[in-house]
Amino acid sequence: MNLAVVSGIFSLVVALLLLLNFWQVSLNDPLESKSLAALVQRLSEEPNNNELKQDIRNLDLLARKAYFNSQWQVKTGSYLLLFGAVAFALALRYYFSLKARIDLPEQQGENELAARILSQRWLLITGITLMVLAFGASFITVDHLKNFGVDEQAVAEVPAADSGIEVVQVGGQPAAVSGEVPVAADSAAGRETDVSSAGVPTGAAPEKSATAAAATPAPFPDAAQLRANSPAFRGAFGNGIFQHKNIPTDFDGASGKNILWKAAVPKQGYNSPVIWGDRIFLAGATAQLREVYCFDRNSGKLLWTQPVNNIQGSPATPPKVTEDTGLSAPTVAADGVRVYAIFATGDIIAFSLEGVRVWARNLGVPDNHYGHSSSLITWKDKLFVQYDTNKGRKLMALNVATGETVWETERKVKISWASPILIPVNGKYQVVLSSDPLVAGYDTETGRELWATNCMMGEVGPSPAFGEGLVFAGNEYARLVAINPADGKVVWENDEYLPEVASPVVAGGLLFIGTSYGMLVCYDAKSGEKLWEHDSGAGYYASPVVADNKLFAMDMNGKMQIFALSKEKKLLAEPSMGEKITTTPAFAEGRIYIRGKNTLYCIGNK
Amino acid sequence: MDNDKVKSRREFLQSGVRLSLALALGGIGGLAVSRLTGDDYVWQIDPFKCTQCGRCATECVMSPSAVKCIHAYDLCGYCDLCGGYFKPGYNALSTAGENQLCPTAAIERKFIEEPYFEYVINEELCIGCAKCVKGCTSFGNGSLHLQIVHSLCVNCNECSIARVCPSEAISRVKASQAYRIKGGFTQESAG
Amino acid sequence: MKKRICILLAFAFLIVASSVTAQMQRFPKPEFESGYEQPDPVTPEPRALALEYFDVAVLLAALSLASWLALKKRSRQGMLWLSVFTLLYFGFYRNGCICSVGSIQNMTLTFADAGYTISLTALLFFLLPLIFTLFFGRTFCAGACPLGAIQDLVIIKPISLPSWLRTTLGLVPYLYLALAVLYAATGTDFIICRYDPFVGIFRMDAPFLMTVLGIAFLLMGMFVARPYCRFFCPYGVLLNWMSHFSKWHLSITPSHCIQCKLCTTSCPFDAIDYPTGEKTTALSRDSAKRFLVYALLIPVWMAAGGFVGSRAHTWLSKAHPDVYLAELLITRPEVKNDPDNIDVQTFLSSGKTMPQLVESAQAIRQKFYTGSWLAGGFIGLVIGVTLLNQVVFRRRSDYRPNRGNCYSCARCVDYCPVDR
Repeated sequence: MNLAVVSGIFSLVVALLLLLNFWQVSLNDPLESKSLAALVQRLSEEPNNNELKQDIRNLDLLARKAYFNSQWQVKTGSYLLLFGAVAFALALRYYFSLKARIDLPEQQGENELAARILSQRWLLITGITLMVLAFGASFITVDHLKNFGVDEQAVAEVPAADSGIEVVQVGGQPAAVSGEVPVAADSAAGRETDVSSAGVPTGAAPEKSATAAAATPAPFPDAAQLRANSPAFRGAFGNGIFQHKNIPTDFDGASGKNILWKAAVPKQGYNSPVIWGDRIFLAGATAQLREVYCFDRNSGKLLWTQPVNNIQGSPATPPKVTEDTGLSAPTVAADGVRVYAIFATGDIIAFSLEGVRVWARNLGVPDNHYGHSSSLITWKDKLFVQYDTNKGRKLMALNVATGETVWETERKVKISWASPILIPVNGKYQVVLSSDPLVAGYDTETGRELWATNCMMGEVGPSPAFGEGLVFAGNEYARLVAINPADGKVVWENDEYLPEVASPVVAGGLLFIGTSYGMLVCYDAKSGEKLWEHDSGAGYYASPVVADNKLFAMDMNGKMQIFALSKEKKLLAEPSMGEKITTTPAFAEGRIYIRGKNTLYCIGNK
Repeated sequence: MDNDKVKSRREFLQSGVRLSLALALGGIGGLAVSRLTGDDYVWQIDPFKCTQCGRCATECVMSPSAVKCIHAYDLCGYCDLCGGYFKPGYNALSTAGENQLCPTAAIERKFIEEPYFEYVINEELCIGCAKCVKGCTSFGNGSLHLQIVHSLCVNCNECSIARVCPSEAISRVKASQAYRIKGGFTQESAG
Repeated sequence: MKKRICILLAFAFLIVASSVTAQMQRFPKPEFESGYEQPDPVTPEPRALALEYFDVAVLLAALSLASWLALKKRSRQGMLWLSVFTLLYFGFYRNGCICSVGSIQNMTLTFADAGYTISLTALLFFLLPLIFTLFFGRTFCAGACPLGAIQDLVIIKPISLPSWLRTTLGLVPYLYLALAVLYAATGTDFIICRYDPFVGIFRMDAPFLMTVLGIAFLLMGMFVARPYCRFFCPYGVLLNWMSHFSKWHLSITPSHCIQCKLCTTSCPFDAIDYPTGEKTTALSRDSAKRFLVYALLIPVWMAAGGFVGSRAHTWLSKAHPDVYLAELLITRPEVKNDPDNIDVQTFLSSGKTMPQLVESAQAIRQKFYTGSWLAGGFIGLVIGVTLLNQVVFRRRSDYRPNRGNCYSCARCVDYCPVDR
């Protein structure tokens, strides 16, 4: 009996100690120590505080010791408890076996019949209770899965109605804009207009676009209208060529010379301005909120700001991106009816030009270690999204009116940061993408891969360019290639100077590339012969573009080199913005629009 | 006499039921045998599905967890700045406590040659929290990844981590191929 | 957009990367000049297959020995030591895993899930005890089950439970079995393993609640003998059926019962049936009407059970993680903004769409519909038959172990004064 008492008390004490340890650890996990985190936070504010470092090391060691100590305690404690319990059980058994005597058999234990009747009663009670409880539970519980479809339909109906309203409101807009189209641009784009209108009957338009077209007669801008605006990253078709005239070449950001207006952009983003009519569109993001902005082109007034939120599937915390890419690197796209924006979260959204939300969805958070940065581009009723991520590579075409996927094409490539461009081949437009290892063209109607050239390598940043019937693509550490899109054959290649971020541009038979170490190089587009080079001293992140028959190349220091389109190097002017610039400028008649870090500039002759 | 009759009838009934029970058992057993595998099953993590949620450290019936970080050296870049070793806001590229991501200092960093460093996991200290795995997967090659170490795993009939794994990365694998080390085990072969 | 590739590495990469086995390697492995040899990752092999078969052999030996001890040797002492061995081997050494009780779920999953195939060890652990029971009675419970052994060893002062309580609580194992099979078949959960009260003690390592559950069962087991075996164990249901019709069974007396009643207090499990008294036999004839009513009620019970089961399938299926997640996202879409909800966040970044998730959840719920229909019907049948059994009287002249409930622990054998 003594042994039983001793071992019983012993087991009880050990159990209590274990319990204490459990509470302690569950209340305050030494490995998740808050004070340690606070100290590390302080260290990031004062990185050279050696005393603080020492404190952290000591606390860290202490925490680890505490953790392993508690592990050891639990282990030892449970063995002691087992030992104590075994001793207790043995002692008790022994004690009771001494005390036990063979009891006199009781008189017939219980009246069997009475017991059985009692059993029946209890069985009935239990059985019925069980059934009633389960039945009751079935009434209390709601099958929420059934609600899903219903909700979804309701949601689907709302945006459909919205978009209907939108189309009516903005219906007149493209026409008004096209009325302002300068004659020069019109005639220059005449050839393209023919091409596009020829493309419509031949292309087998999917039913969806047909119905959309029927519902809203001719809402899609043609090539000439696109050229008259600046609808996407690097202008119409993403080709880096602007038809606008009278572009000023003399300005100075520091003194404000020829700066017509400056406007503050609320949130940062490395996307470039997009212009439709009198409106400029930008996007910006912080970890908390993503936004799309619309500015008045003439006054710089912020016309509207719309948040990008409440999107089904959008992650609560944005994915990790690097500082130099950010959450809003892709440039928005506009088509005269709507403006479209995509963010590093995979959120894609469409607003009417007045800022009314039309549709939004999440394409699945892109797994991209710098941040998604492929810009958007539209053609007719489709919005093209290059979605080359670490997990899944594809080109998607979304219906511009509803955001539904019209088609998507899986691509056997690696992740890419380049943006899609559109090129006309044999009367039809193709989407051309550049990734490691393929530069490839896709049918805009079906998404079929029309040609693909295995020539690219590494982490592709520069978008392709098109001119002289050739597609040009390049990337640092890889090569610069000219490809004939008719057969996908490489016409010429070179690896002397290679772009890393800035995209090439072709005009007047010349190909220009800007490298991120500050070389601007001109090649003969047809032959690949290097004609001239220019060392600016600062790298090019903004893509060089052509407007008013001049080349505008903005280097990272904010100096803009303006060259004549000629086989000899002819630097016409070198005005400066006075701040670091990494975005590509956009042009309108007589104006340049440039996005700085927090500012949008409008440049024009005063 | 009457009693005997009752008895023999009862016995006959009993043996009949016994026979049918035996047949049922045999049937079930036979059906199961037709789908039998000679190999045993063990639990393992598919590193390509793992999202490093950290539950492996807390949900395992063993403490510390039987899940440990494994280093697939074939994939390692031997970086100086290792995303799996250093805290995001590290103070310096040194082994000092304030820079280390691992809460138990289970990763040993050794200099090999300029500019390469080797990272070795001390399994004794590793608690399977996946902090380093997250760092390595986000900023490096993903050579650090979690695996269930079979000398520690008690191979529960149903793995308590698998039950709560948000990405369903833990599944039964054949005991003859008990590990899914990145590199040899590629994403393609994982299906 | 600045890339972090250091130039050196990138060039090395270019040379290697002629698209051969191009892994997603951002920083290719360097070529070392110092003759460094890379270590291999440490991967200790799992327990050898031979050892798993050795476990089966040990089980077979334990079963044989238990049957011999109970039926031939009639030795309580021997059985006690065998159960100590079982506790040490299958319990503390094998950590309570692999066990026959849990293997029900493996069997179920084998038939329900085409992607799962049972291993030979699990199959034998399921079948062997049942086969032995069919021949020798529940000797498995007495000598070869670690869960039984640990409870058997802590019995100190057992109290006798009234029979109405025993019959009523006796429904619980059926319910548990039905739920375990339902959840295993739908791939939801292995509830027998998850709520196994003793496995944490065997492992000496368990979550807090599991430890509390285990200790509670053991403390209760001091006074209510073998509470888990009697009122929870789902495998016991199958063993009970087998044992009812076993070829041989432990008997209290080696030859003839002399009606000394000495054995009546020996059984801690109330598993000894008394001889039918004269009065009982006489009265039992009156219950023929009752018998008819209960027999006719069985189909009603089954139908009611099936109906209620199928009604309850919505509720039961909420235990499945996919169904739970889908319903959570539908009813409370705001959880999408909760960064601490790992399941929701992982789902959102997985690329799976909401309709896909709902579709799979609905498929699971459909399985639950069929499953709970059957489970409910089974429970109804069990209630009906148990009721019927209450009005069935069998004539007994001796003190005999109840074939279904007796664990063949051989305690009563020690009390019988009759010599061989």
